[in-house]
Parts: sequence; structure tokens; C-alpha cells
Amino acid sequence: MSRFLSRQGLLSWLDGLIQQGAVVVAPTAVEGVSLYRPVPKAAEIDLDCPATVLSPKEWLFPMSHTLFTVERKDGALELKEGAFDGRAVLFGLHPCDALGVHLMDVPLLADPADGLYRERRERTALVGLACTQCRPECFCTSMGTSPADPTHLDVMLTPVEGGYLVASASDKGEALLASAAVEERDVAVPEPPNPQRLPTEDLPRLFRALFSHPYWGRVADRCLHCNICSYVCPTCYCFDIRDYARGNTAERVRSWESCQAAGFTRIAGGYDPRTNKGAKLRQRFAHKFLYFPEAFGGPLSCTGCGRCVRSCPVNIDIREIIAELNRLGVASVGSGEKQG
Amino acid sequence: MAEGPVEQIRAKARELLSARQVECVIGYERASDGLTARPLFAYTPEETDRFILDNTCVHNLARYLLDRRTKPTAVVVKPCDSRTINLLVQEKQIQRDKVFAIGVSCPGVVEARWGESPEKPQPRCQTCPLELPVVYDHLITVPGERPSPGSGQRQPRTGFPEMERLQAMSAQERREFWQKQFKRCVRCYACRQVCPGCYCPICFVDQLDPTWVGIRIAPAENQVWHLIRAFHLAGRCIECGECQRVCPVGIPLMLLNDKLTAEVEGLFDFRPGLDPETLPPFATFKKEELEAER
Repeated sequence: MSRFLSRQGLLSWLDGLIQQGAVVVAPTAVEGVSLYRPVPKAAEIDLDCPATVLSPKEWLFPMSHTLFTVERKDGALELKEGAFDGRAVLFGLHPCDALGVHLMDVPLLADPADGLYRERRERTALVGLACTQCRPECFCTSMGTSPADPTHLDVMLTPVEGGYLVASASDKGEALLASAAVEERDVAVPEPPNPQRLPTEDLPRLFRALFSHPYWGRVADRCLHCNICSYVCPTCYCFDIRDYARGNTAERVRSWESCQAAGFTRIAGGYDPRTNKGAKLRQRFAHKFLYFPEAFGGPLSCTGCGRCVRSCPVNIDIREIIAELNRLGVASVGSGEKQG
Repeated sequence: MAEGPVEQIRAKARELLSARQVECVIGYERASDGLTARPLFAYTPEETDRFILDNTCVHNLARYLLDRRTKPTAVVVKPCDSRTINLLVQEKQIQRDKVFAIGVSCPGVVEARWGESPEKPQPRCQTCPLELPVVYDHLITVPGERPSPGSGQRQPRTGFPEMERLQAMSAQERREFWQKQFKRCVRCYACRQVCPGCYCPICFVDQLDPTWVGIRIAPAENQVWHLIRAFHLAGRCIECGECQRVCPVGIPLMLLNDKLTAEVEGLFDFRPGLDPETLPPFATFKKEELEAER
């Protein structure tokens, strides 16, 4: 027997959570574009969404965030922080996106933690949806998760005929499920799909060896250096901060930024040490496959969700880059075994 | 029977590279989905075997000339893309003698999205006035029926149903339409990066002193971004439609560009990039313009 929640039961559960004051953030069609947004009612959720265009990081790490505002009132300064003091349910994360949240936690919750991120993160429950099929760009199993992996989630739902198999993966999840009409039913667990597998085991070492390889320049030839890959990515977390003043008020704003953006590395006096196209493109992959694992002791900063593959206007394909690093790397430095 | 267009492109590219007439040939190759196309920069004769040409070749490759200003480069151009060369030569961004344009006639391209079988024709091709590139050093003719008969002559700007639908709206309705579109903009600047007319060394949105637009990704700032960008392209947009194609959240940017193209055409009887001689209105001054009706 398994715990089962009907499709209608799921919607009622989520509607109940919304009525109790929770912000339910879920995939929904915004002018035909699939994005994570707070929904006023569960019926607006696209339950069968294979992948949103932007990742759910939009909720935990908003595109633009007012860190604080300062207002001068009667000679005194009044400071307001841009806090989130509600409760949220981030619904419909596929395992790759759950891994994405974890990979955002790694740098942003490391001491000293990013206060605004931590606040949202702690006040948000993660409800996942197992994948029933893979898209051509999916490669999650190469990045340490898999289509039915409940790791990092509070609740995991597996779509089956007429509804979902329910598994709570944390105390937070079990508490959240208290209001769901879960029944015991004999339902077969479907076989999860099997995405393509890429060799990622040795990437940091191969990357280091190929850091100055002409390959980067060749891939970068067609790169437009737009911010799409960084912005659709569930793990890119670079940002910019600026202050804006108007009249008696001032605010400090944090906004997403990308290593591909013009001026990302421009410094005082106007000099930009990284204008070379190859070096610029390499930076994004170096962060994911070299600097991040080196800095945080382990994981690559990629989930295999394939969003950048799908959205890149000129088909810079991270899967090809992984394959090429292996091909060129093994040719030039040999396999990991030989090196010990 | 003559060779097909793909063989002709490969042969021409091989010839240009072997003779060292150019350092690089920019064309198309099959993308990683096996369905759509992507740009290919070929530097050696061997690489030219990867070139393809079909209705998934949507990219405006002439935009890459901005990355290779002083280097002898050959580029495959469709009729719409070819206008880029005239635009950039007139605006003194590239040198005509550094460019070898491999022109291809165009029966129209499709809306190619990675990973999806391309089927839907690009709406822009339905209103394209051009059958042949406006500038080329070597012409390759692609067999196929055009979606609409193009004469190579300038056509009046009719048959833009979406633009006309917007024109028919009240100002308030139009404002709401655009606010809804701009609201989901993520300021990824893909529209700018892909645009052959956007080559300012420092874009106004990236300028710090003075700050023209804040970095906040929010409706008001997004709107300022799109409106100012559209104005900067007034009389300069060569209508390749790349900005709209690359937008990850599907903002119909060509509606803005089409409107301004129509305005400039109405005021100055000018459409950019169609020939290398006619001076663009913003690069010239005629005394009688002072008398023009407001």
C-alpha cells in the first residue's frame, strides 16, 4: 500500500494552504510562458509542466530585491528591511530543481549567511514532482540526482494514474501534509525515465588542465554574451547592488547579474580585465565545474536541468562542453586513474 | 544538374579559405538537437564540410561582423540579414572590403526552437519584401517557393496584422498591452546582444555616471529599457527579427520596431540597409526638414 493523493485532492490541499495564508509558488503560464509565480488558486498551476523557462530560484533569490529603504522623516532616519515574514510553499520542483535549491544553499547559507535568502529559504517548504519523462536536454543523473530523487525536498509527489504517490521527506513535509486528503491505496510505482549520462566525475581536474585551451575561443565565437544562460540557470547566483536616492528616501537594490554581461568585470577607471570572448564564456563554466567545487569541497554547480541548452539562442550546449572537456582533457592529460 | 546550395556554400567557403582570401567563413551548421541550426565559424577548409543551409537557418550571421571588424571575413547572408552589411558600412562600423558576402536567396525560414521539429513559418517572412540579398559578392540561389511574392523593391508597410491590431487599440489599451509584455522581461539583454544595430561600447543601461536606468528588473525599468532601445533603432532596424526570436520570455519586440520603421518611412521615405548609397535620416540633414509638417 502506498500513500495516494488524487489530483483533485492535491488542488484542494494547495487551495487550503493558500487560504491559511501560505504563498504557493508554482509553475503557471504567464502570457503563454511557463514561469514560477505565486498563484491565487491551485487551478492556475500547470501541473504537467515539464520545465519552466526560468528556474524556481526566482522565488528564493528574486531577480530584484530591495535590501532596505531609508527615509528621512522629521530629521531622523527610518530604516526598513525588505523582509519576508510569511510562509511559502514552492510547488512542483523536479529533482533537478530541488538540487538547484541545495546548490544555492551552499554558497548563500555558508557562514556568513545571506540573511534575506535564509529567511525565504527557512519560510519555504519544497514540494517536488517526480519526472515521468525526460526532455532531450535533461542530464540530471550526471549531476548526482535522478528523475525520482526526493533529496532536498520536503514532500515528493510521483504522478500516477488519477493522482500522485505521496512521500514526505522531512518533518516540515509531514506537517504540511497534515491537511492533505491522503489515502492508502495499492498503486504501482512507475519506472522513472532514464536521461542521458555524461562523464562528469573528473571535470574540475580536466578543466584546470584545459583552462588555456583554444577551445574556449572557438565556442565563444558564436556566443552573444547575453544573460540568458545565467538567468534561466537554477544555480547561478551572481548579483549587483546599487543605491538609489530620490528626495528623502534611498534604497539599496540587489539584482541578478551575469558573468556574461557587459561591464561585469569593469573596474574603477573603466578598465575591464576580461573582455576576451573566450575568457568571458569560460568564466561561466569555470565557476560551475572548477571554482565552485574547489571552493565548497565537492559538488559541481549544475543540476542537469538543461534550461540553458534549450534557451541559448546560438546553441552553446553545456553537454557538448562537458563531452569536449573529457575528449580534449583525456587526450592531453590522460585519464584520472593514470594520474592517481 | 548543378550542385545544390549546400555544396555551393561549402565549395565557396573552401575556395576562400584555401586562397586565404578570408580568415574565417561564418555560416550555419546543424545544432546539437539534430533538428535546428547554429552559427559555425570555419577557419580551415576541412571545417567547411559542416556547413548546412535550410529553412532552420534563422540567425542573422552578419551581426558577428561587429566582432571581426578589421579581419577579412566571409559571411552567409539571407536577404534580410544582408541589410546589416549596408547598415554597418554606412555607420562606419565595418569596412566593406573586409567582408565577403555569400548571399543566398531565401524562400523563408521557420520558427526554429531547439529540440522541437521546426514546422511553423516565421511570420516575418510573410511580409519580407526581399527575394535576393541587397548586397553580395557571390550569390547562391536556393530553390523553393516564397511565402509571398517579393519583388526586391520596397513595399508599402501593409500586411503587418499584429501592428495594425495594436494601432486600432486605444492608448490605454496599448499601454496595458505593453506593460503586460515588459513585466515579464528579465533584462537578459539578449535582444541587444543579438542586434546588429546595438553596438555602443557602453549601452545606456550599463552606464553608471550618469545612471539613466536602474538595475532593478521590474516593470518600470524594463519599460524604459525597451522604449529607449526601440528609439535608438528607429530608422536603423533592418528587420531581421532576431531580437524577438531570442527573447526567452517571448516579448513581441518586432511590433515596436515595425511601428518605428513605419514612422521613419512615413517621415523620411527611408528604410535602412536597402542600398549603400542613400544616407540614413539620422546621419544627414536637409534644410527642408525644418519646414516639414509636425
